[in-house]
Amino acid sequence: MQADATEKRMRELMLAALDGDAAAYRRLLAELTRYLRPWFARRLSPSHASHAEDLVQETLLALHSKRLTYDRSRPFTAWLHAVAHHKFVDHVRRHAIRPTVPLADDAPIFAVDDSAHAADRRDVDAVLTEVPERTADLIRQTRIEGASVAEAAARHGMSETAAKVSIHRGLKSLMSKFAGSRK
Amino acid sequence: MTDDLIDRLSADLEPTPVNALEKRLFLAIATGLIATVLVGPLVLDLLVGRPFGGAWGSSMFWGKLAYTIGLGGLGLIAIPALSRPDRRRVWPFLLAGVTILLALAAGALSWMQADWAMPVLMGGTALVCPWLIILTAAPLLWILLAAMRRFAPASPTLAGLGAGLLAGGFGAAAYAFYCGETSMMFMAVWYSLGIALTALLGAIIGRYLLRW
Repeated sequence: MQADATEKRMRELMLAALDGDAAAYRRLLAELTRYLRPWFARRLSPSHASHAEDLVQETLLALHSKRLTYDRSRPFTAWLHAVAHHKFVDHVRRHAIRPTVPLADDAPIFAVDDSAHAADRRDVDAVLTEVPERTADLIRQTRIEGASVAEAAARHGMSETAAKVSIHRGLKSLMSKFAGSRK
Repeated sequence: MTDDLIDRLSADLEPTPVNALEKRLFLAIATGLIATVLVGPLVLDLLVGRPFGGAWGSSMFWGKLAYTIGLGGLGLIAIPALSRPDRRRVWPFLLAGVTILLALAAGALSWMQADWAMPVLMGGTALVCPWLIILTAAPLLWILLAAMRRFAPASPTLAGLGAGLLAGGFGAAAYAFYCGETSMMFMAVWYSLGIALTALLGAIIGRYLLRW
């Protein structure tokens, strides 16, 4: 239903724009930008996320110069989707980017992907803000990145014993905060 | 940055007429047809030495006309849909393929009745016929493809193929007025070859020219 409302509003704006209504056209383009930016960003891998803005602009330009190919009797969102998809495929091909589409729901072989780890990493980062910065860094280095206590201590210019104590205290305080009832 | 673009685009907005795509298409086809029809008296008659109406009065003349215009018409049906990003229409090409196969079958039957006589297949102009058809169709194909650059075909190759089929069919029809051959097998092989080559040419050019 929500999609139908979007289609109806967009199509009215597009029809007004085709008849020369510049204000409706501006509103249409501004609103499309809001939808297109995340749509492209989702389809690009994080390392190419900066291309999303280029793609939005290319799509708006194509909408402008190819607007006579919109058949007024057909859905506008389908036409726009076809234009955006064409621009995306063209861009990916030209820049030799391998598109990444999440297949989590499709095939068990792809069920575990990096995004789950990314979520875990964000959780760890959030939790570690609860302890002093140096302690947090020591914990990250020894417990997550796999450095030895001696290496981590050396990087912070402290003795191994002091580092051990710091890590121990930090973990203990985190336990008391987040593992409350299991003590 | 994108906001600047939106400002510029909305300042540049001009009203788009209803059915703008079809109007452009038909204007290009009409202009192209005139150019292609002019190839007849100017090139085929004066340069190649083919008098007008070589097969006049033969029933096969009308057969050739119907066959070529039919194939061109299938291209005409395919193009408007293929010129849009959100449409796809492939059945006219399949139907064109079936039509050519049927013509070949009918031609083979009549050739068999003529006891496989070589002149029935080759006529007097077999080796130039496909090339002259491409030549006759070229102006129409060129004008049509130039107009289609304004469009946004989902597949530039297929859109070019449609333009090539239209130009090849109508070009062959214009050529038929200057062709003296009256055998069914001749038409089924050499006319079909000329039209198919024009369609292929359209697909190859379209693949690059109609990109957007």
